[in-house]
Amino acid sequence: MNTETKNSLGMNRRDAIKRAGFALGAAISASTLSGVAFAQSSRSGASWKPVNLKRRQVEVAGAIAERILPKTDTPGALDVGVPEFMDILYGSYMTKEERSIFAKGLNAMNQRARKAHKKHFAELNAAQQDDLLRDLAADSKNREFYEKVRELTLVGYFTSKEVGMHVLKYDPIPGMYKGCIPRSEVGDTAWSYS
Amino acid sequence: MNIQGKGTKQNTYDAIVIGSGISGGWAAKELSEKGLKTLVLERGRDVKHGEYPTAHMEPWEFEGRNKISQGKLARQQKQNRTGYTTSPASAHWFVDDVDNPYSEDQPFDWMRGYHVGGRSLLWGRQSYRFSDLDFEANAKDGMSIDWPIRYKDIAPWYDYAEKFAGISGQNEGLPQLPDGSFLPPMAMNCVEEHVRKRITENFSDRIMTIGRAANLTQPHNGRGNCQYRNRCIRGCPYGAYFSSNAATLPAGYASGNLTLRPFSIVNQIIYDKNKDKAVGVRIIDAETNEVIEYYSKIIFSCASAIASTFILMNSKSDRFPNGFGNDSGELGHNLMDHHFKVGASGRIDGYDDKYYKGRRPNGIYVPRFRNIDKASAQKDYVRGFGYQGRASREEWSRGVAELARFGKDLKADLIEPGPWRFGIGSWGECLPYHDNKMYLDDKVRDKWGQPTVTFDCGWKENEYSMRKDMKQSAVDILEASGAKDITPFDTPEKSAPGNCIHEMGTARMGRDPKSSVLNKWNQVHSSPNVFVTDGACMTSAACVNPSLTYMALTARAANHAVEELKKGNLS
Repeated sequence: MNTETKNSLGMNRRDAIKRAGFALGAAISASTLSGVAFAQSSRSGASWKPVNLKRRQVEVAGAIAERILPKTDTPGALDVGVPEFMDILYGSYMTKEERSIFAKGLNAMNQRARKAHKKHFAELNAAQQDDLLRDLAADSKNREFYEKVRELTLVGYFTSKEVGMHVLKYDPIPGMYKGCIPRSEVGDTAWSYS
Repeated sequence: MNIQGKGTKQNTYDAIVIGSGISGGWAAKELSEKGLKTLVLERGRDVKHGEYPTAHMEPWEFEGRNKISQGKLARQQKQNRTGYTTSPASAHWFVDDVDNPYSEDQPFDWMRGYHVGGRSLLWGRQSYRFSDLDFEANAKDGMSIDWPIRYKDIAPWYDYAEKFAGISGQNEGLPQLPDGSFLPPMAMNCVEEHVRKRITENFSDRIMTIGRAANLTQPHNGRGNCQYRNRCIRGCPYGAYFSSNAATLPAGYASGNLTLRPFSIVNQIIYDKNKDKAVGVRIIDAETNEVIEYYSKIIFSCASAIASTFILMNSKSDRFPNGFGNDSGELGHNLMDHHFKVGASGRIDGYDDKYYKGRRPNGIYVPRFRNIDKASAQKDYVRGFGYQGRASREEWSRGVAELARFGKDLKADLIEPGPWRFGIGSWGECLPYHDNKMYLDDKVRDKWGQPTVTFDCGWKENEYSMRKDMKQSAVDILEASGAKDITPFDTPEKSAPGNCIHEMGTARMGRDPKSSVLNKWNQVHSSPNVFVTDGACMTSAACVNPSLTYMALTARAANHAVEELKKGNLS
């Protein structure tokens, strides 16, 4: 995966994220911001366009996923293409009912953001996003959406190639079974998939 | 109808085998190795050993990862009912429900694999012997007719089947779970060893052993040993678990006597009234719809329980107006499966610094301990159950349900191995009830214009009473093991008959032609050159996985067939 793909503003991804953080504190136009937010929602920068979800929706989905599994010393949800995965699942893998719950849930997150901060969810800073996510988690009315977006975030992240091969301990052909070894022999992480 | 092949020498063999799954593969091997020109008719496509398209695919190489698309799901609504079969890694081994419809008076989950190898490619591989506790059960509790055989009749054939197939396991010296000819057992992990010791310390009536699995722990008969990838259901490139494709069919081909014809849907057995016996079968070519007849001295129906009985039921004549060999009226009745999806799991603390290497395609087993003798007799139900389970460290998926947590701590936690959990689920015996049945529906037709099957089968009081004990005894074992956060489960709604994929009965063996379809050698009472050796023949279900018993019964029947042919008794 090439995380350094240039977007249409000539920024690479990392710059775009830095810039977004800076821009959030500055008074710049909403349309510019939305372009930056969109770049954040994709591992391949602005060159990637959602096929099934609306652009606004995929921005929210990506922002939620990144708050659930943020970038630290290991990749975050955006780094490994979770929004792309959600877009594929929304297009061909969800039932009509799941699609409706998912799309409405994403739209509602944006409405919450606008109500609280007069901004799109993806344009909020991390603390503001976390507050709204906590509200969502505590709200039983939106439980189905919250569970779905969590599930897709975790599945999309932990079954990605980057995480499966380079974050978790990858051992495609173990060749043997040892039932009881010191955990230190494996290292700090869990085995990749089972 | 333009019937091809009538009377042609080219379409005549010594033996015809219907189906190429566990039973058909064994029939093909045994008959061809004993010198019979053998034709195997398989209704689906050919799959040569190694032709397993997803065997090496990683999770990220599937577009929807572990999900099935709505487009594919629309054609596999019923095949999807197990919750695992239609994952993109294995969906191609299960039938298209639109082309292959069936109907349900009561829910019945009929999982089918229409391809060479059948369900031998995707079976669970647990391999246990029936004991005399099982063969005598119907006679002793009077719930149904007696088996016409006892353990001593089948024991040498269990040895024979195990030695060829390669079953890893541990002998335990239990009368209710006979020992076998095993390859070295797989290891238990730390927590399983912990539970095993606690069971032995706390219970006098039960033990825990490693699962007996048709997975090779060392190279065997030219097949490679298990690589511990736990991707068996996709087909094993190493041939490290028993399948027709990797084991019996290659042996059959090596004899030079085996011909296999894929895309051959056997529509009926041909009865010749002048000879008063079956003389061959009529097939529909699945691709061209051509109808072709094949002839042979003997026929082995190994199409799977439901499909073999379908063929018999669909083979009507003046002599057999209610289906071939159905003088007793029992054809289609006494349908069984194991009932399961009941048990418990719990967290085991104290092993956080321990882990395992490899993904073992096998679990642990707690053999039956109820209704074995006076001391273990139950007042609420007859027969019994065993537990299958495992201990493992929880994976990242544990994070989905932790709704209140998100952020960097959650991510760091999920990247590490989770707590150890030990879980067991029970596989329970279902009684052979006459009114649990399948029948043919002439109105609903499949893609080839054939009638279809309707199921009318359900669990009854004995199964539901047993389930209470299955759940409580699982909790007892977990409590004795010091487990925390014990979570019992019992989901009969997810375990309709068929869901365990152990369909049995519908053409049962018995001594009396008035109450059974097959004799003690799996021959149709009224047409002894027709043998049925798949799950249809079962007179009772026991509580253990049945495939090893089909292997042994098939090899035994094939041996008998050849002996009888030599004596001139089948011509």
